[in-house]
Amino acid sequence: MSVQKFVLAMIGVLLAGGALAQDSVELTSSVYKQVLVEKDDGSTETQLVAADNVLPGDRLVFRNTIRNISAEPAESIVITNPIEEELVYVAGSAEGEGMAIEFSVDGGQSFAAANALRVVDNGIERPATTKDYTHVRWVMQTELAAGAEGTTSFAADVE
Amino acid sequence: MKTASQRLAAAGQRTRACVFACVLLAYGAQANAAGTAVGTVIENTASVSFDLGGTRTTIVTNTTTLTVAERVDVVVTLASPQLLVAAGDANRALLFTVTNTGNGSETFSLGSDNAIGGDDFDPIAAVPAIYFDSDASGDLTAADVAYTPGVNDPVLAADESVDVFLVNDIPAAVANGDIGRSRLTASSLTGTGTPGTVVVGAGDAGTDAVIGTTGGEASAEGEYVVSDIAVNVVKTQLVQDPFGGSEPVPGATITYTVTLEVVGSGTATASVFRDPIPTYTTFLPGSITLNGASLTDAADADAGELDTATAATIVVRLGDLTLADGTQTVEFQATID
Repeated sequence: MSVQKFVLAMIGVLLAGGALAQDSVELTSSVYKQVLVEKDDGSTETQLVAADNVLPGDRLVFRNTIRNISAEPAESIVITNPIEEELVYVAGSAEGEGMAIEFSVDGGQSFAAANALRVVDNGIERPATTKDYTHVRWVMQTELAAGAEGTTSFAADVE
Repeated sequence: MKTASQRLAAAGQRTRACVFACVLLAYGAQANAAGTAVGTVIENTASVSFDLGGTRTTIVTNTTTLTVAERVDVVVTLASPQLLVAAGDANRALLFTVTNTGNGSETFSLGSDNAIGGDDFDPIAAVPAIYFDSDASGDLTAADVAYTPGVNDPVLAADESVDVFLVNDIPAAVANGDIGRSRLTASSLTGTGTPGTVVVGAGDAGTDAVIGTTGGEASAEGEYVVSDIAVNVVKTQLVQDPFGGSEPVPGATITYTVTLEVVGSGTATASVFRDPIPTYTTFLPGSITLNGASLTDAADADAGELDTATAATIVVRLGDLTLADGTQTVEFQATID
């Protein structure tokens, strides 16, 4: 990397979704509460509602929308979302079309598929559970064309 | 004098059933951990890295911020077994545990109710009727502080619990086997009602409070069962040695006198007195008497015998006994080997 490119990259990091995002890629996050609603016929369905008055035991859905607002395709896109300490990832909930989904159990230093994760607990290695997850990330398998949009989501329960 | 074991034997089946139910209740309460504390801020910031025009760039998103609200929940469990009581008993205390299963600090009011359908009598609430188990002894003692509504309503942190006594008197006009129930209710002062109801601004740390699945109110019932019947047994012995004295030497005769008396109301049906002949003594044949009348050693038509099937044991069938039958006296003799 040339010095010039490095400086540009650093500016990109520092501006973090600010001015530079205007002519590149946008990422917006939103959070909803997932509730079970009873319908007139007695059956129930899940709905996403505003995340007001979040309580222990509530299920939250985090959604990230990525949009390429530049005139060129964006490549090697990786979206990373931390899973806060008070949250427990809901197994199988992460979604993202055309994306490989990986998890971290070490604070985001390394990532692997769900079934490949292991943790060391009191000196004994064991398969990781969803409670161990610290981050989830989506690795886009294709490029994102100019003007195109993609969505990722996952659910987590409030402890 | 009624002993605990005699009373328990009178209603053992019910007691066991209750203990099992209580264990289940306690387990249920345990599962209701309060969870993330009210006021906890959950922030989420995602990031994206990408290559654009040959440059690797990472940007972060807007941060979503959630503040955990207060969930108002309470659980009341009965900690006492079914209490065996006698007619006219005073200050019989049932022990309950009130647990704040919400995620914030909460103040609860306590109340009692003895007019419960389906039982045989209404216990009479003592004045005051509710005490805290201040000395954590599990028994109502002089050190325990009475509860006064609005004055010392218990304030419990998330997951915290307090032990509370409900104190009642037993009416004089109750029959053996009658059951009376008493209920303790704990209600959140923040609010009670349909789960999901929002009490704006009433939560800790400036949050809204939300009524949880318990409705912010919980109760449990304790049970008294009248078990007046008890059989008092007193055994005495008199030693006569071969030399005219009272030394317990080999060859001395021991006269055992056992008095049995029913106290309280009810009938001790098919009462049987059994007493093994002590080790190092030998039963003196023909020495059994009931209320002064001799009984043969053989298993025959009369009320008593020496049962030698396993160890030598005196058996006297007393039949159905009530208070009106008065004291029954069994005597027998053995010699020291």
